[in-house]
Amino acid sequence: MIKYLAKRIGRSLITLVIIISVVFLLMRMMPIEGYFPNFDKMTDAQIQAGLEAQGLLDPVPVQLGRFFVNLFHGDLGVSHGYRNNVPVTEILADKVPISIQMGCLSIIVSLILGIPLGTMMARYKGKWVDKMGTLFIVFIQAVPAAVYYLMFQLYGTLLLDIPLLFDAANWKSWILPVFSMALGNIAYYAMWLRRYMVDESNKDYVRLARAKGASGNTIMFRHIFRNAFVPMVQYLPSSFLNTVIGSIYIESLYSVPGMGGLLVQVIKDNDNNMVQAIVLLYATVGVIGLLLGDIMMTVLDPRISFGTKEGGR
Amino acid sequence: MTREVILSVQDLDVKFRLRGKVLHAIRGISLDIYKGESLAIVGESGSGKSVFTKTFMGLLDNNGFIPAGHIMYDGKDLAKITAEKEWQKIRGGEIAMIMQDPMTSLNPLKTVGEQIAEAIRLHQPEVKGKEAIREKVISYLNDVGIPDPERRYKQYAHEFSGGMRQRVVIAIALACNPKILICDEPTTALDVTIQAQIINLLKKLKEKYSLTIVFITHDLGVVANIADRVAVMYCGDIIEVGMSEEVFYDPKHPYTWALLSSLPQLGERGEDLFTIKGTPPSLYKEIKGDAFAPRNPRALKIDYMLQPPYFEVTPTHKAKTWLLDPRAPKVEPPAAIRNLKDIEGVYGK
Repeated sequence: MIKYLAKRIGRSLITLVIIISVVFLLMRMMPIEGYFPNFDKMTDAQIQAGLEAQGLLDPVPVQLGRFFVNLFHGDLGVSHGYRNNVPVTEILADKVPISIQMGCLSIIVSLILGIPLGTMMARYKGKWVDKMGTLFIVFIQAVPAAVYYLMFQLYGTLLLDIPLLFDAANWKSWILPVFSMALGNIAYYAMWLRRYMVDESNKDYVRLARAKGASGNTIMFRHIFRNAFVPMVQYLPSSFLNTVIGSIYIESLYSVPGMGGLLVQVIKDNDNNMVQAIVLLYATVGVIGLLLGDIMMTVLDPRISFGTKEGGR
Repeated sequence: MTREVILSVQDLDVKFRLRGKVLHAIRGISLDIYKGESLAIVGESGSGKSVFTKTFMGLLDNNGFIPAGHIMYDGKDLAKITAEKEWQKIRGGEIAMIMQDPMTSLNPLKTVGEQIAEAIRLHQPEVKGKEAIREKVISYLNDVGIPDPERRYKQYAHEFSGGMRQRVVIAIALACNPKILICDEPTTALDVTIQAQIINLLKKLKEKYSLTIVFITHDLGVVANIADRVAVMYCGDIIEVGMSEEVFYDPKHPYTWALLSSLPQLGERGEDLFTIKGTPPSLYKEIKGDAFAPRNPRALKIDYMLQPPYFEVTPTHKAKTWLLDPRAPKVEPPAAIRNLKDIEGVYGK
């Protein structure tokens, strides 16, 4: 198992290096205007001097090498364009925690609500719980998010008696953005879990469990649930990633000082160092998520062994 | 011969609602099952073999229902039970079932030990404590012939071969401590060599646990090997029932003749095997007369008009065919099956 983990982590690191290198090289193909805030007014000599100072005239492999060396020292360079000469790490340190916190909270909320919803829908398939759940899922999936986000904000803030905008110090003001972010995932988890549970409940081992005399609830929770949850596991990492980076709209709606939209902004600003840092961050979160997903699968499902094949038929 | 009836089915009807239509799957079956016997129910696919036995356990699909008839067991009419709670006591505890496909009938995420232990906890409350249950599970694994049960106990279904999985399924059924064991084509999904092992195992366990076994199959070789008595089903009805020898050596119903004529052992090299022409009638429509008449080249006029009652051949052998009526013309069974006794590999050889 340890060997398997080491192998997986090693591979993940290689994946990260490749992603970073590709993004780094792509950024080098962008026009050089982005490196200077006042490019128009600069003379050629000034531009050359500026490029030299930033080390941009060195051969690309050298630049890449230097980037990785600095990375190991925790230095991601300084921002050009987004906020001039402020270290990238400092900018991210302001913004990342709040987004990650919000993402984690919303994932927790969506698991706590989505999984029981899906289970109940499968348990009482065709009954009113199932019908209401389906209505909810269809609503969330079919209606543009902007519509119910706005309603949520409007009526939610009235109901809770809080200001429209986010204030990190007031716990009440976390509720609405976290729930807004969770809504999509709740529907998503409930939909897939219901589907997998219904699939499982038609399988032979469930028939055998019934023929054994096990009660409906025992069958549902002790036999079906775990089997249905295994394929669910693979969705968790990617939905976490999407929640962390995909909350542009909600963050702007509530003025949350997170990193939603930051990547788009810095690409527009041609702020290479910022782009690299953010891509590195997302790629890391993504790779870790996939790794965790795989580890969870192996823990839950004995049929998936760690790498080497043993036993079996 | 006086034998105690353990389960008695009387005029049982089963229907299914399917897309607004009603399918009449079981058409008035009456059958007594005797304690300690092994009864084989044979018939082609769709004849209602599985549906018939599922009614004993309340395992019909949701769209199935029993409009008429009784299933008397232990003084209760199982056909009238609706409460899930009551069924849970009967399922496993009184009547257990082994299913066709051992590859899919075990939960892939639980160790086989846990799955057998679950049955013990449900139906043998007198076995208390983790260690006692574990020992019991291991003794069942031993009984079904799984080597090294101490180690196998902790393994998952995917670590077992098909034959071994079927043994585990049998162990689960035994752990429920049933009186009747229904085996729904338990060997169909297995290799031929494994089939024989499983059949022999079931024979052995039947003695050890004094079980009554109901065997559903369309493999007549299996029937000959295990069954005391055979019931032949066609179109949701039992058209002939008798002791194995009687049905094999002295079949009376034209459908039984046709079924036996289809035995591959009777085929001649270079010639096509015998097949029964046509298809069974639709169960959506009311069947008039003998259900087999349209496929029976020797059908009588009355076969199309009136459903035959049972005619008794011997006290243990009866068949639903007008040919047994004293007024009927003499029709001989096909030559091919007259000497089944002498053909190797068909019965008891």
